[in-house]
Amino acid sequence: MSGETLTAPMAEALAAPRAQLHRVLRWGLFATALLVVAPFLLDTYTVNILIRALFLAALALTVDILWGYTGVLTFGQSAFFGVGAYACALVFTHYGFGPGWAVFALILGILAAMAVGLLVGWLAFYHGASPLYASIVTLALPIVLTQVVFAGGRYTGSSSGLSGFPTYYWDLEVWFWIAGAFLILVTCLAVLFVRSDMGRVLVAIRENEMRCAYLGIPVSRIKILLMVAMGAIGAAAGFGYAAFTNVVAPELTGFLLGTELLIWVALGGRGTIIGPVLGTIAIDVTSSYLSGSLPFVWKLIIGTAFVLVIVVLPQGLLPELGKALRRLLRRKPAPRPVPTLQVTASKPPGDEAEIPLVVEGVERHFGSLQVLQGIDFRVGRGELLSLVGPNGAGKTTLIRCLADGMEKSGGRVVIFGKDLGRWPPDRCVALGIGRKFQAASIYDTLTVAECLRLARYRLERFSLWQVTPVLQLPEAALRIVKETGLAERLDVEVRHLSHGQKQALDLAMVLALEPSIVLLDEPTAGLTKTERERIGGILTSLVERERLSVLLVEHDLNFVRQISSRVIVMHQGKIVLDGSVAEVVDSALVREIYAGSSHPVTEAGA
Amino acid sequence: MSVLILDIVTTAAILFTVATGLMIILGVMKLINFAHGAFLTIGGYAAYITTLAGWSPWLAIPFAALVGLVLGLVVEIFIVRPLYSRPLDAILATWGLGIIIGQLITIAFGREVQFAEPPVSGAVEFLGLSYSTYRLLLVMVALIVGAGLTGLLYFTRFGLNARAVIMNEDLARGLGIDSTKVRLATFGLGAALASMAGALITPLISVDPNLGLPWLVNSFMLVLTSGVSIPGLLIVSLLLGGAQVVVSTYLSPIIGGLTIVVLAALILRIRPQGIGWGGS
Amino acid sequence: MMLHIKLRVLSGAAALGLALAQPAAAADTLKIGVPVGLSGANSVVAPSVVQAAELAVSEINAGGGVLSKQLELVVADDGSGAQGAQKAFDSLVFQKEVDVLISMETSAARNAGLPIVNRGKVPYIYTSFYEGRSCSPWMYVNAWVPEQQVAPIVDHFMSSEGAKSFFLIGSDYAFGRGMLEFTKKYIETKGGTVLGEEYLPMDGTDWTAIISKLKAAGPDAIITSTAGGAPNVTLTKQLRAAGVSIPYGNLAVDEGTARGMGADAAGIYISASYITGIDSEENKKFLAAMEKHFGGDLKTPNDLSVPQYEAVYLYKAAVEKAGSADPEKVIAALDEVSFKGPRGEISMNKQRHAPLTMYLAQVQADGSVKLINSFKDVDPGEQCPNL
Repeated sequence: MSGETLTAPMAEALAAPRAQLHRVLRWGLFATALLVVAPFLLDTYTVNILIRALFLAALALTVDILWGYTGVLTFGQSAFFGVGAYACALVFTHYGFGPGWAVFALILGILAAMAVGLLVGWLAFYHGASPLYASIVTLALPIVLTQVVFAGGRYTGSSSGLSGFPTYYWDLEVWFWIAGAFLILVTCLAVLFVRSDMGRVLVAIRENEMRCAYLGIPVSRIKILLMVAMGAIGAAAGFGYAAFTNVVAPELTGFLLGTELLIWVALGGRGTIIGPVLGTIAIDVTSSYLSGSLPFVWKLIIGTAFVLVIVVLPQGLLPELGKALRRLLRRKPAPRPVPTLQVTASKPPGDEAEIPLVVEGVERHFGSLQVLQGIDFRVGRGELLSLVGPNGAGKTTLIRCLADGMEKSGGRVVIFGKDLGRWPPDRCVALGIGRKFQAASIYDTLTVAECLRLARYRLERFSLWQVTPVLQLPEAALRIVKETGLAERLDVEVRHLSHGQKQALDLAMVLALEPSIVLLDEPTAGLTKTERERIGGILTSLVERERLSVLLVEHDLNFVRQISSRVIVMHQGKIVLDGSVAEVVDSALVREIYAGSSHPVTEAGA
Repeated sequence: MSVLILDIVTTAAILFTVATGLMIILGVMKLINFAHGAFLTIGGYAAYITTLAGWSPWLAIPFAALVGLVLGLVVEIFIVRPLYSRPLDAILATWGLGIIIGQLITIAFGREVQFAEPPVSGAVEFLGLSYSTYRLLLVMVALIVGAGLTGLLYFTRFGLNARAVIMNEDLARGLGIDSTKVRLATFGLGAALASMAGALITPLISVDPNLGLPWLVNSFMLVLTSGVSIPGLLIVSLLLGGAQVVVSTYLSPIIGGLTIVVLAALILRIRPQGIGWGGS
Repeated sequence: MMLHIKLRVLSGAAALGLALAQPAAAADTLKIGVPVGLSGANSVVAPSVVQAAELAVSEINAGGGVLSKQLELVVADDGSGAQGAQKAFDSLVFQKEVDVLISMETSAARNAGLPIVNRGKVPYIYTSFYEGRSCSPWMYVNAWVPEQQVAPIVDHFMSSEGAKSFFLIGSDYAFGRGMLEFTKKYIETKGGTVLGEEYLPMDGTDWTAIISKLKAAGPDAIITSTAGGAPNVTLTKQLRAAGVSIPYGNLAVDEGTARGMGADAAGIYISASYITGIDSEENKKFLAAMEKHFGGDLKTPNDLSVPQYEAVYLYKAAVEKAGSADPEKVIAALDEVSFKGPRGEISMNKQRHAPLTMYLAQVQADGSVKLINSFKDVDPGEQCPNL
């Protein structure tokens, strides 16, 4: 089943990233050609302001990656810009000037920015941090940095800033080419990056961060690394800006510049890379021209446009224009890349000697409300265990405690001999847990293929510049994809799928994690009879053929009776019955519980 | 030493008064109103208009509140309501609104610094020290505002509805509370409070189009650490405001300006819900 | 009051219309670029500076212009800071291609603009008092430096008020620090002591901690050097609200701002090269002309706007002496010309700076300024020994 030979469609798929790379290179070359010619066609003043705008555009691009793609509303990219700029000014003013010093200053600025980015990331992106808190930290950053500059007195020039320090007084054309080349390089790399596998991960984080954790994606680490990288780029842009303009002032590190960046990105079109770049250039150049004639009115226009865009056109102006243009030219949007599916040999589940799942004394309380109490049970290999009980019994809470180490208030959960402790969901995935949520919480704007690939994060290398042409899935996941027709819809966005297809995709994603223990919360909710039978068949084969352990919460008692090997009944946060299907399903106790009997519930056998 | 204590108490009172408007909006609407600084500025200019018109400076306070209320209602309907489900975007939209208000004020009044007549001035003998009368007055104002808001929240129907919405909006709607009206009224009230605070602080600073900006971030930080409760806000105003005064006095005023922001970020890292106990 | 606001809105709209209309530049004009702080810390005084320039230009044009060319003013906003100044200077030098730059600015703005002036090779007459020692082959200064301004106040405090200890407060930027550094040295050479030297960033508004330190130190007098506009106002208001009434010398406030501060400003000592009360023919003529030209819109002429008026005339004199507007010739000529203006005979011939008559005055409760003493032709000292 593995290692299919290279078929025509596969060859085509392998060629796709090459084609993508070529497309980007072509645009890059075109832009470079424009860059070379431009200084000779434009007047000096325009070239002057364009140089500044080009450096700022590179900075705006970093904001787009953080905010437009990853959903981190950051006010603080200006701080990194300022770090790079002040590194340049401080070194040139106080220490020395020359090619060696310039390289030293640039590296110093980038390293300082990366250190700051690391600190900010650690502070802002811890597991469980709200997006608002992250924004607050990015807001505090430029304010703190500005005050640090003020505190520097004569050394940093304080409120006045530093100017007239020795720098390279090259011709305007030379600076224009430097700024432009920097921007083109960063833009091309950024475009490749956001369209690659990793780029899709960023979008997934933006759309549903919690789900990403349950797919084993280390969200905090990714965000921190991203902030460090964007900080480095921002610092490089700041360095160039300071070296050219020969002036640094606290405004460069400040909160106002940080918010201007957001305005440029919002107006240009967040999440498009090109939009913010062009938007920044257009707005900055226009404002330089107009600042003399109509200073207040121009800011008023920008402010109004900004508010309108946020409220009415959240995508930004450029994408709206692009859509309109496309409709005019009757062109369809570019098709999303479709990888070839390939089966991969699954690893055997966990250590043979150990019991897959041991739950000891797990309890969960919210203040004085006890939701789970004294939960003790074990699950062996090849067991299909159903959790039943009326609403409010604590079934979903128990599932949560198994998939997220931080959820439980007390007790132990041990997986293949390893204590779950207080590990967050992505670490639980690494230990072998795969959780499927009740509602199919997938990513609306990603395609089926992209969603499936996300689940492979822990197991495969994710490219930073291309979409890997081959998508490897374990057999069970592949079966679902083929049988439910998802294999023909790999390039369809999830929001266009039917409910049943979404559920199937969700399950396929969980299985693509190659979990040893699968936790399912009401997998048959809202499914047709055929779909239910299919899921039942898949779960049974998982358990029998691959010896996984499956734990499912289910209300459909017929379904439970058909496929389970064991049933646990829960009521008011406790386990009241744990036995085979026959023992449990026909017991009087269960009927009592489900009928809502007024007698107090006693242990089985009463 | 006593001067330091007075400085701390009066600074805390000023911070509290300025931040209350932001807090009730955050509590009821789960939204950070970044136009808060602009409403402060509007209040400052209302005081300036009061001076231009030759009215008594005491009138500036209710006048500013009225202007803020009307503007707040308009803003809620047209800008905040459509962004109910997009809280981060609401922050940006209110910031954009702040820019618009700032520019409109500049076009109407010019960029120059204006002067508003203060209701009282000079110093008074207090506890054996000569201290600014107005600053002491502001302590009383802060207490009145705090008491007034508490009264509003706990002794009126509106307050009851607002508290219900703060705790659980869906449940409140399920119980028949028109949360839209509550949100509208709250935003108006928050804007009125901000505007009034702006008029109250003008005697200590100057009236110019950027009056409100330095207060925005500090208010924002205080409100988040307060845990959305009036006693909580009083406590953090004293704690963090006090820290700012101490650092400014003994280290440097420049680092002092940082204290609230840095301390708040750290507190929130350790205890994300703030130190209060009300609300969400 | 409403009319005032309506006028503003209408003039804003009119400016919009005019700007969009963009009249074609008349050939054969000499363009004077005025980068000035229409926004930011200098926004309080900028209108008076622009008015002074406008009067000079209209008087000269009415008299036939310079070498039969009309003068044209081009004003740009430098935001009172480095970033804004960059944009303003760039726009004036490279886009509007002015023949000369004449203006007052914060030190931050001036320092940011100088590289552009040097690159664009445009003569620049700096008309603002400042902390001294800023030098460029393309710049002349016709306003005072600390060597000229500090002595009158300190001497007066020490002799007439018997002050021995001083407390210095300033805004944290080049001018603030430069002035107070010089002041401290001067006080110490005269045998006084400085009990404290405190700074707040330019956009700071809360002087509480500093004022408390001041009161704790108990000096005989205060000397301040804060940025124009808001910082001056906030500090004075808060000082008065805290009941501080010891002799207060403000090195950086102008008559107009002082007047507008009302009762709070009473008692402040200022040392300036211009006060409206100067008793001379030229000043009386100047004030009458300003009154006539601007009527109700007149912004009080002050120590920042009058040098602007005189600088325009100095430029005229230099161009006429050089026989052309060629930058190199004008730069050479500026060293040799003089003009008798409201402040007296002005000539920028001491290392690019000008000897000036300084006046010590005190602000009264009704906002007027009372002259206490005057010092003729004070030398600026060694400012640019290499030029």
